[in-house]
Amino acid sequence: MSVSRASKSRRGSTPSWQPLFQKRWHRWLDRRLPAAQSVTLDHRKLFVIPSLAGSAFLLVIVLLWLLGTNYENNLVFALAFLLLGLFIILPVHTFANLSGLRLQLREVPAAFAGDYGQAKIALERSGKRSHERLHLSWPPEEGIVADVTDSEPKEVSIALPLVQRGRVQAPRIRIESRFPLGLFKCWSWVDLDVEFLVYPQPKTAGPLPFGASVGEGEQLKSFSASGDDFAGLKNYQPGDSLRHVAWKQYAGGRDLYRKEYASGSDARLWLDWDLLAGRDVETRLSNLCAWVLEAERAQIAYGLRLPGKEIAPAMGPAHKQRLLSALALFPVQGVSQ
Amino acid sequence: MSAAPSQLQSLLPRESLLWIFAAQCAVLLPHMMHLPLWLVAAWCVAVYWRLEVYRGRREIPGKLVKLLAVSLAVAGLALTYRRWFALEPMVALLAVSFTLKNIELVSRRDALLSLMLAYFLAATLFVFEQTIPYALYGILCVLVITAALAAQQGRGSARPKRALGLSAKLLAQATPIMLLLFVVIPRLGPLWAVPQNAQSASTGISDSMSPGDFSELSKSDKPALRIAFDGPVPPPEQRYWRGLVYTHFDGRRWSEPGDATLSWGRGRSQAHQPPEEGERPLPAVGPRYRYQVIQEASHNPWLFALARPHSETPGVRETGDDTLAYKMPVASRLAYQVRSWPRDSVAQDTVLAADERLRHLQLPVTGNPRAREWARQRVRQGLGAEEISAALLQHYHQSFSYTLRPPPLGQNTVDEFLFSTQQGFCEHFASSYVFTMRAAGVPARVVAGYQGGEWVEQREYLLVRQYDAHAWAEIWLPERGWVRVDPTAAVAPERIRDGLQSAAADEFMQDALLPLHRIAFVTKLRLQWDMINYRWYQTVVSFDRERQQGILQRLLGEVSPLRMALFLGVPAVAALMILLLWLKFASRGPRLPPAGRLYLRFCRRMARAGLARNPGETPGDYARRVERELPKLGPMVGKITTAYEKAAYGDSAEAEKQLRRLVRTFWPIRLVR
Repeated sequence: MSVSRASKSRRGSTPSWQPLFQKRWHRWLDRRLPAAQSVTLDHRKLFVIPSLAGSAFLLVIVLLWLLGTNYENNLVFALAFLLLGLFIILPVHTFANLSGLRLQLREVPAAFAGDYGQAKIALERSGKRSHERLHLSWPPEEGIVADVTDSEPKEVSIALPLVQRGRVQAPRIRIESRFPLGLFKCWSWVDLDVEFLVYPQPKTAGPLPFGASVGEGEQLKSFSASGDDFAGLKNYQPGDSLRHVAWKQYAGGRDLYRKEYASGSDARLWLDWDLLAGRDVETRLSNLCAWVLEAERAQIAYGLRLPGKEIAPAMGPAHKQRLLSALALFPVQGVSQ
Repeated sequence: MSAAPSQLQSLLPRESLLWIFAAQCAVLLPHMMHLPLWLVAAWCVAVYWRLEVYRGRREIPGKLVKLLAVSLAVAGLALTYRRWFALEPMVALLAVSFTLKNIELVSRRDALLSLMLAYFLAATLFVFEQTIPYALYGILCVLVITAALAAQQGRGSARPKRALGLSAKLLAQATPIMLLLFVVIPRLGPLWAVPQNAQSASTGISDSMSPGDFSELSKSDKPALRIAFDGPVPPPEQRYWRGLVYTHFDGRRWSEPGDATLSWGRGRSQAHQPPEEGERPLPAVGPRYRYQVIQEASHNPWLFALARPHSETPGVRETGDDTLAYKMPVASRLAYQVRSWPRDSVAQDTVLAADERLRHLQLPVTGNPRAREWARQRVRQGLGAEEISAALLQHYHQSFSYTLRPPPLGQNTVDEFLFSTQQGFCEHFASSYVFTMRAAGVPARVVAGYQGGEWVEQREYLLVRQYDAHAWAEIWLPERGWVRVDPTAAVAPERIRDGLQSAAADEFMQDALLPLHRIAFVTKLRLQWDMINYRWYQTVVSFDRERQQGILQRLLGEVSPLRMALFLGVPAVAALMILLLWLKFASRGPRLPPAGRLYLRFCRRMARAGLARNPGETPGDYARRVERELPKLGPMVGKITTAYEKAAYGDSAEAEKQLRRLVRTFWPIRLVR
């Protein structure tokens, strides 16, 4: 990571109380566990302490020792010492359950603000030891629990609620295990350098603005959304809508074809920033986002006009993503409304 | 994704529920003997209810039901026990608490609490019994509870084999630490007085003797005492283990000093203040026996020893009657060291205080006229105490028989026994003898205890059983003090010499379900088992501060803080070192083949030279990049890469050798500068 951490927006950032401690802690963590897409857990990265259950267990041991002492009963002593022995060896087992685990970031699909972002992570063992009851989460989120028992990497996805659009740097992932008895917890804060591309939250702004284009001095041009004029057949490409497949021809024994409909050169849908004048930036972006989704669903060629950016009308998932990315990465500042 | 947060963490996995019940069941099972029946029933109901909830047929009970259950349980406890500070109510309280917890067993925290209680309840088992079977059962309990704890981790861990296996593995690893701690951790001794279990019925010899008591004891082959001698061993006819002295006779029953309304301890301490330390100095000379007695739980305070005992074991005191007593009823096995001076070997007090004399001549006002008359006749003939005794013993010898099934006696027990039935057991002989001697004006008393014993394993220790219970007499002779007289010996000398089995061969243990004592092999096995028990008791149960000191002394030479620190510290440091080494190797990942290692060395050197290989970059790509960015290194890197690829993927030994040579001489950092 060449970019300094501080410059990135982080969720769950420093609470106002004890900021100094938090800052130091994070700085220490950053030094000790630098961000990387692939991390193998080892003794430098893991922490072990007794859990609440462990403290209760210790209390039981103390009470047993008192019972043994007062009744001068060696068998009670033996039991207390056996449990103490258990308590002494358990952290090693709990540690061993996490040590050697390799986490690798596989994929971070883009998501909409207000929704959960899912990071796909591969868990793999580096030795022969299996890893059980691994709990991965972005606290305070629920997270998931997984076992890695065979040599095949196991793919899991953990969810992070996303609020703001843009590039969101996910906080450190907490990986924790209390295996085998739950009396100790072993954990690490892993930074897999997860970065979500967050699209604006879609907020509907009425029907698609067919024919409504506010150009500089341009007149409004009428536009027929249906594009009735059949223009011909084109080879079907994966990703094309099934609604436009020429089923008749396909049934007749020919290849898959896509019906092309002609639309007038100006009869294209422009999703224009200026159409939404009067609203604040985020709402505008949200509305544009909703339109993009709607237009894609309706299989209408659509383009996007943003201040300083114009993307020509087209269709298809790649185009949709391009537009949504543009919306997501639209700068917050520097736009006069 | 809308699941309530923290449910995943806190909610009890379904499979683990059965494990919790299994752990509770295991722990409750041995406690059922002293737990009230309603509690066991309540547990069953609670488990049934919770299982119904599990099946979805019922709801977790509401507040009202819970409140009702709690008040019922508290009322039940109060009615059953009426006091709180004793062991049984404490155990019952623990059992009640996890029974009540069962109906609201929802979260992991509930499960945990339940299992912690189970651990504690398993430990209280040992306060009641410390035998080998109980110890083994305790291990089983801990195994199941630990498995239940492991089962809380999830579906995979809840599989029976997996949970038990995990639990067994962990406990096995904890065992060495337990052994070390057991030897090393200092025993402090009771921090405060603890309630003993009070409701257990006393076993063995009781504080009074009426006809039939001892023949009842003769039916039991339970161990009473185990005695190991250090040095000389008394001959069989001297093995009289005194426990109690009965001085009061009410016509049928012999009992402890006088007034029956006085409790045992009070009566004794008031009547005979035990001599203060130093008042009665220990005899310096003479044959004496040193031995250790391990007494089974009798729930009575009296102990057993040879005549003129002295013990320095804490809590043991001597009484004025040449017996030993413990500070409280013996609730579990007790070991005490005794030294005894046989009466013949030491000078005795030759004066009997007036009130003592009176006490030892006490007789009911009426009853048994023929015995009194017989005694008076002997006195009128001018016979001395010893002569009267001899005449009485002669009377027994002539026409009496020894039997475990004496005919029942009516009102005048002594008369009927002496002059009509003439068949009896030791208690009849002792009772009639003391009565008659007292009638003749000779101070006399009945002594109860055990006589004899059976050697176990090369005379390692003497096993005294309940059927060795015996009653004999002592008379006061002015010149000799108290003298033991055993009227039973006059009739059945083999009883004294060889024990009950040979004296009453046909009748012995006749009521036993299986006449196992007749099978030599079984008898041998039982003695073997007894020896294992004895060793168990010696090494584990009675392990105390003194033994601990002894062991540490033997291990360390001298018990000093420095040596203790070394003794504890060295294994701890060694364990830590092993752990650290293991960490180092375990986190290294799998070991690479030689070619891979050589190539990694090359990569490290390249990184130092300022051009590190990117993660995931193939050696070929890397080599090309190096050639592009640092052309000076290009040819050499190309050679190394080719050699590595050949060695790693072509399995060529030649290439590996070449790679080794190349890497050895490759120092990019010098070439780059």
